[in-house]
Amino acid sequence: MNDKVKILIIDDDPDIVEAMKVVLESSHYEVSIAKNGEEGIKRTKLDRPNLIILDVMMESMDKGFDVARDLKKDKNYKDIPILMLTAIKDRTGLDFKNEAGDEAWLPVDDYLDKPLKPNELLEKVELLLKKT
Amino acid sequence: MKNIIFAEDLIERICWVIKLRWIAVVGVILVILSASRILKFSLPLFPLYIIAIALAGYNLIFFLLLTQFRRKGSFVIINRIANAQISLDLLSLAALIHFSGGIENPFIFYFIFHMIIASILLSCRASFLQATFTALLFCLIVTLEYFGILPHYCLKGFITYNQHDHLIYISGVSFVFISTLYIAVYMATSISARLRQRERILQETNELLNEKDRIKSEYVLRVSHDIKEHLSAIQGCLEPVAGGITGELNPKQLDLVQRAAGRTGKLMFFVKALLEITRIKLSKELKMDYFLFEGMLSEAIAYIDSKAKDKNISVNSTVEPTIDKIRGSKEYIQEAITNLLANSVKYTPRNGRINIKVSDKGNSILIEITDNGIGIPKDELPRIFEEFYRASNAREVERDGTGLGLSIAKQIVERHNGKIRVDSEEGKGSIFSIQLPK
Repeated sequence: MNDKVKILIIDDDPDIVEAMKVVLESSHYEVSIAKNGEEGIKRTKLDRPNLIILDVMMESMDKGFDVARDLKKDKNYKDIPILMLTAIKDRTGLDFKNEAGDEAWLPVDDYLDKPLKPNELLEKVELLLKKT
Repeated sequence: MKNIIFAEDLIERICWVIKLRWIAVVGVILVILSASRILKFSLPLFPLYIIAIALAGYNLIFFLLLTQFRRKGSFVIINRIANAQISLDLLSLAALIHFSGGIENPFIFYFIFHMIIASILLSCRASFLQATFTALLFCLIVTLEYFGILPHYCLKGFITYNQHDHLIYISGVSFVFISTLYIAVYMATSISARLRQRERILQETNELLNEKDRIKSEYVLRVSHDIKEHLSAIQGCLEPVAGGITGELNPKQLDLVQRAAGRTGKLMFFVKALLEITRIKLSKELKMDYFLFEGMLSEAIAYIDSKAKDKNISVNSTVEPTIDKIRGSKEYIQEAITNLLANSVKYTPRNGRINIKVSDKGNSILIEITDNGIGIPKDELPRIFEEFYRASNAREVERDGTGLGLSIAKQIVERHNGKIRVDSEEGKGSIFSIQLPK
């Protein structure tokens, strides 16, 4: 069981988390969950996941960004790929997709728009894991 | 702010008076010519022509002054210009009257026009002052001519004998004339004041409505955003089940879950479109930049390409080679064009064709999207860009459209100071045209 790929989901919406968990577990990933940003950072340190799925809007509108920045600053965790879930265009009118990979701006590795399609989620996860 | 609006308003009215004055110059010359040449009245032509030339001269000066003050002029300066013009007009008319018969000349009643113009241009108080100035000018001429201090130029040929020294006649005419002046000013200023007040109320109401509309849009934004979050969760939970990730379902279960997932998808599409249009409405400024037009267009075509291929619809585009970069929000313009293209694909039958022609119009570009689809019924054309409106034949082709695609396109184009229009014939096809400044 130890060689299973570990994925950490940091998201405050329990229903979306559950749906993602089902999808990811169907592809034999080991899934752990954090309900907010602080817990997410703690869990990252504890579990050392292979990939993090991070929601943008949690306690605050851009909590996800703060979490991503904190993790990428730390040399122990900066290599863990982060897939960010965002529907942020709805509220801010900004389209972050163009900025993906620009570390100075937003330190995440890829984006996925909500609502999530199971196949898209699995594809992106696989792609990011291959890169590392 | 209000003063700026009034200054613009006043400038517009002064321009109108300047135009009228050019007509007046021509009119004066024609009247002098016909009175002296055709009717053979004896008139002192030299001073009369001098006055006509002076009239043209100061009109030109006011025209030049106005073009100079148009941009930076304050309300006070422009108001002074308006007052000065009217006073000069009154002096010119008084001089014209003096050299052409004084009180005997029926053109004295043309002073009434000046009173009406003053009432439209100036404040109530200034208008009454101008009326008093006219009355004084008139009395001055009549009195001076009566006592022989000023020479009297009799309108021989028009009247049979001199009236300027006939006391009862001049008193009677003066009384009627002066009372007419004041009554005219009273009436014109009260109508004009009422109109100005109504204008102000309309403006305030308009501001209020805009504010209410903004509040409504914010409400829509918040509500649809919340709905979208719940929908995301519903969709997220339904799709693994519908896709068989959670295990195999029996055919009935699968059918119902797929129906639910399908409807959720449609609702999500609708909520997203609603969010989109509300966001555009609420955004104060769109982020504008220069971008390559043709590259953006190819991407837009790529979005609809697979759907067009499914229906074997050919999509051709021609872009005039002089069109390079244009200024605007690339994402939004692309969205507007994609919406139009998606509509064309949706409402064009199998084996149809869509042509995109982009031409250079100097300061702007014209994008024309032509299809040979179902077209739009003529009586529904004016409503086609309204939010949530769907043409009757479009509803037959597809039951669940949002009715927002075209209104989003319209909002985007208008935010770029462009124009969007449609020409269509039911059963033959449609042409959607967008004109965008470069």
